[in-house]
Amino acid sequence: MLEIKNLHARIEEDKKEILKGINLTIPTGEVHAIMGPNGSGKSTLAYILAGRDDYEVTEGDILWNGESILEMNPEERAIAGVFLAFQYPMEIPGVAGLTFLRTAVNAVRKKRGKEEFTTPEFLKVVKGRAASLKINMEMLKRPVNVGFSGGEKKRSEILQMAMLEPTLCVLDETDSGLDIDALRIVADGVNALRGPDRAMCVITHYQRLLEYIVPDKVHVLAHGKIQKTGGKELAHELEKSGYAEFEAA
Amino acid sequence: MTVAKIKTKVEQELADQFAHVSGKLPGDASVKGARQAAIDTFDAQGLPHRHIEEWKYTDLRAIVKEALPLNVGDASAITIADVIVALGPLQTIDAQRVVLVNGAYRKELSSTEAQSGVTITPLSEALARGPVTAKGFGAGEAAPADDAVLALNAAYMTDGAVVEVATGTEVERPIIIAHVRAGGEAGFTAARHVLRVGANATVTVVEAFVSLPGAAVAGQMNTASEVDVGDGAHVDHIKVAVDTGAVTHLASWIGRLGKDSAYHGYHHTQGVGLARNQMFVTFDGEGAEVDLSGSYLGRGKEHVDNTLVVDHAVPHGTSRELFKCVLDDNARGIFQGKVIVQQIAQKTDGKQMAQALMLSPDTEFDSKPELEIYADDVLCGHGSTVAELDEGLMFYCRARGIPEDQARSLLVQSFIGEAIEVVEHEQVRGAITAYAEQWLEERAARSS
Repeated sequence: MLEIKNLHARIEEDKKEILKGINLTIPTGEVHAIMGPNGSGKSTLAYILAGRDDYEVTEGDILWNGESILEMNPEERAIAGVFLAFQYPMEIPGVAGLTFLRTAVNAVRKKRGKEEFTTPEFLKVVKGRAASLKINMEMLKRPVNVGFSGGEKKRSEILQMAMLEPTLCVLDETDSGLDIDALRIVADGVNALRGPDRAMCVITHYQRLLEYIVPDKVHVLAHGKIQKTGGKELAHELEKSGYAEFEAA
Repeated sequence: MTVAKIKTKVEQELADQFAHVSGKLPGDASVKGARQAAIDTFDAQGLPHRHIEEWKYTDLRAIVKEALPLNVGDASAITIADVIVALGPLQTIDAQRVVLVNGAYRKELSSTEAQSGVTITPLSEALARGPVTAKGFGAGEAAPADDAVLALNAAYMTDGAVVEVATGTEVERPIIIAHVRAGGEAGFTAARHVLRVGANATVTVVEAFVSLPGAAVAGQMNTASEVDVGDGAHVDHIKVAVDTGAVTHLASWIGRLGKDSAYHGYHHTQGVGLARNQMFVTFDGEGAEVDLSGSYLGRGKEHVDNTLVVDHAVPHGTSRELFKCVLDDNARGIFQGKVIVQQIAQKTDGKQMAQALMLSPDTEFDSKPELEIYADDVLCGHGSTVAELDEGLMFYCRARGIPEDQARSLLVQSFIGEAIEVVEHEQVRGAITAYAEQWLEERAARSS
């Protein structure tokens, strides 16, 4: 279970406060959507969950399965099961996708006390998971995300997610830059990972994604705080009324 | 008025040593004459110093403190197994080998194969018949006639490989010219290679500079390679200098490109105390293509200077340069790239990039791109960047569970890998990558 308690955070560099007391609980096995206008702090929340050090938590706590993760560095959080699918996946020239994936998967497996994958085992697992995301092996031989289309980048994020077997998935604007076909493939990939042992936090500006990844709850984030919480129908209301009500707040 | 130049101790030693050893150096009377002329040129110049523009950042007069005794002939008890150990990751390349130990050709350690259209002759043997050069040099040659380092090489050269590839011959396996430094005595090695590649022929030549365990910490190397690329020929020329120690490594490449030919030169340098790689390439036929690239990993107080001069003397030439260096501790990297486009060389396409990645705040990178363009219908550009590791990329890797030091290594590989990718031969590329990985592992071990 993810518990965010009265979380206040600011940008390290200019001390600008972005999160102003977030309270949020996502039980394991549930998918929650966080919606909100641009600049409401959605991406900041995603980065803070993953441990990016450009932000400073000034108050409050984040508990994952009862333990605070605030003192953990990004790799420790990944080992503890946290995965952030980036809004803008990074390009790493000169490093083949397979090399990157294998380095990450084995680093995590080792720390979780599991056997590292041998090359044949690894390739077998990747092949299966990549196929369901319509990613061919040639694409994975290319440098990480270099020259990939928006859709290819997002699919490769979901493949990383599937391979790292996280228990808390944070998806930051996974629908941005996707056409409807790509959106469907990505959503299918995410839905395949839904399960009783996993919590998911889907961050999005638009309701569109939530037609494919149907959430258990929807939260509206604006001005650094959760302004409203409801069921999946809240997303439809927002689609009609927009965020004006919250932006004025 | 002539001003008597004051010689430094080393310059005097280099002149004196020539007088002592010249009788032992290979070559007929005309070679001897050429050697004398070369030492006279050196004598007039002295060692290059910072007031000479091309040597601004690598002041040999200040750096070189002594002249080590010249290695002439070699009888070190070395086995093929030793050579293989010294070659490190390069041993995995399926190649023919020409082995020189302390600058002397060692037939029993070499393994060249008979292929019609290919001859490999030791330079010492070839010089007995007269001077050896690649054809076509003279007018338009990009190497300055008074370059002191080249003059020293011409005066002292003891051995090397003369590789001749006949018209239309495709040399299947790469030829590795392995320079092995061995023995506890620090010495000076002067070697020269000549590659004559006939029209439409193809060959990959790898020059390796390695040392055996137990070799003296110090050493001096002056090596020169002349390459004549015939019309339509394709030459891949790679140098891997991993001769670790307080070694002064001076390497000059002189290339001439025939019509529609391709010459891909690459320098990988790591672990060498001081290296100067100078490349002089002239376009002699239209439609030729040259790629001069390289990678350098430096630490401690290492100093590596990659300097090139590309002379577009004819129209429709294409040149590409990409040099990347990773600098740690107090290491210094230098890149000087001069591209000359002569007035007649219309439709020249030249692009150059030099990039440094700094892993420590005490490193220095000097980059000096120079475009001298006299033609008006050309496409030329250059760029240079200096950066530290990208924090955003570091976070991306770490958010995937990759520990910080491993993430750093991965990103350094990413940076340097973009240059190494230029090397076409897969096994050679793999060996260079393995060397870079070794360097990163050593770095991680030091910091943990």
